[in-house]
Amino acid sequence: MKRFDCLKSLAAILDPEAIVVANVGPISREWNALRPSDANLLQVNLGLCAAVGLGIAVSLPHRQVVMLDGDGNLLLNLASLADLGSQDLAHIIHIVLDNESYEGGGGLRSATAGKADLAAIARGAGIPNATVATTLEEFETAARRGLDHPGHFFIVAKVEQGSVAKLPTLTIDGKEGKYRFARYIEATEGIEILRPRYTHI
Amino acid sequence: MMNNAAVDAVVDGLKKAGVNFISLMPDSDFSGLQKRVVDDLGFTYVPVSNEAIGVGVCVGAWLSGKRPALLVPTSGLLVAAWPLTSLCMAWNLPLLLLIPYRGDIGDAFWLMGPYKDTTEPLLKVLNAPYSVISKNEEISKAIIDAQGSTISWQRPVAVLLTGETIK
Repeated sequence: MKRFDCLKSLAAILDPEAIVVANVGPISREWNALRPSDANLLQVNLGLCAAVGLGIAVSLPHRQVVMLDGDGNLLLNLASLADLGSQDLAHIIHIVLDNESYEGGGGLRSATAGKADLAAIARGAGIPNATVATTLEEFETAARRGLDHPGHFFIVAKVEQGSVAKLPTLTIDGKEGKYRFARYIEATEGIEILRPRYTHI
Repeated sequence: MMNNAAVDAVVDGLKKAGVNFISLMPDSDFSGLQKRVVDDLGFTYVPVSNEAIGVGVCVGAWLSGKRPALLVPTSGLLVAAWPLTSLCMAWNLPLLLLIPYRGDIGDAFWLMGPYKDTTEPLLKVLNAPYSVISKNEEISKAIIDAQGSTISWQRPVAVLLTGETIK
C-alpha cells in the first residue's frame, strides 16, 4: 500500500473544515498536494505531531481533528499516546503512516519493522478503537468509520517506502503556516487569536 | 514547594492575564497549584507525561484560541528545550512558562545544584526572556506582564519563582 494512495482516499472523504495536523517530511508534502488548505497545520517537527494535535483537539472539541503521523515520529514521543488516551476526545482520528523505517534518514528500519505494535500500544494507552490497515480497502473502511462515528480512532496504515514523482515543494514555512492556520481558526470559530499589543497591559 | 500564598498569587496572575489553559507534568514543586488548577473550571487542564509534550499541547491550544501556560520544573525545562526550539523558535510561537526555580542559590538539595548552571543560560539561548521573582507580592504582576509580552512578541516568556515563593 502506498502512503499517497491512503492520503488520496482520505482527502476524498474528509470535510473541508476538518483540521489536519501533519508531521514534517513527505507526509506534509503529499497531503499539501492533495488537500491544500489553511485548515492544515503542516511540517510539525519530529515527535510533536501527536502533542500539538492533542492541544488542538482538547481546545476545539467540536471540530474534527486528523493527525497524520509517522512511525518514527510517534516512537520518538510515545508517551503522547498515553496523554491522548487519558482524554475523552470525540472527534479525532490519529493516523500513523507506518513505513517501518526512517525514510527521511536513509531508510533504516524503525522498531515497527520488528516487534513494536503501535496499535497494541495505543490500546494499552487507553485508545480502544485502534486498528491496523494493510490494504487500501481496509484503510478506507477504518477512516470512514472514524469520520462517521464519534470517538477517538487510531489507525496504523502499513505503507511502502517512497513517495510519488514530481511532488510539489512546500513553499511556506512554519511561521507563515502558523499565521494562516490561526487566521483560519479565527474565521471559522469567530474568535481572536492574533492580536499584537500596542500598550502596556 | 510553592507555598499557599504563592499559589494564590499565581492563580490570581493567571486569571488576570487571561490564561485559561494549563499543562504540566505532575511535580511536587507545584502540587498545591496543580490541585487548585484541577478544581478550577476556569482552566482547561491537560496533564502530560513529559514537558516536551506539554509544549506541543500548549502550542496546539494557542493556535486554537486558548491562552495557555506551561508549568515546568527546572529539570523539565531541559526536556522542553527540544520543542521550545523546534516549535517555538522555528515558528515564532508564544508560550507563558512558569518555573519554580529549584537550584537557585539557597536551594540546599544537592541534586538541584546543576539547574543553577542550566536554567537561565538555557532560557537565554532559547530566546525566551524571563523575570526572576522572589516575593509573593510580585508574582501576579510578573505573570500578567509575561503573558502580554509572549503574545505580543510571539516567543516564549518565563517567570522563574524563587525565594519566599517556593519556601
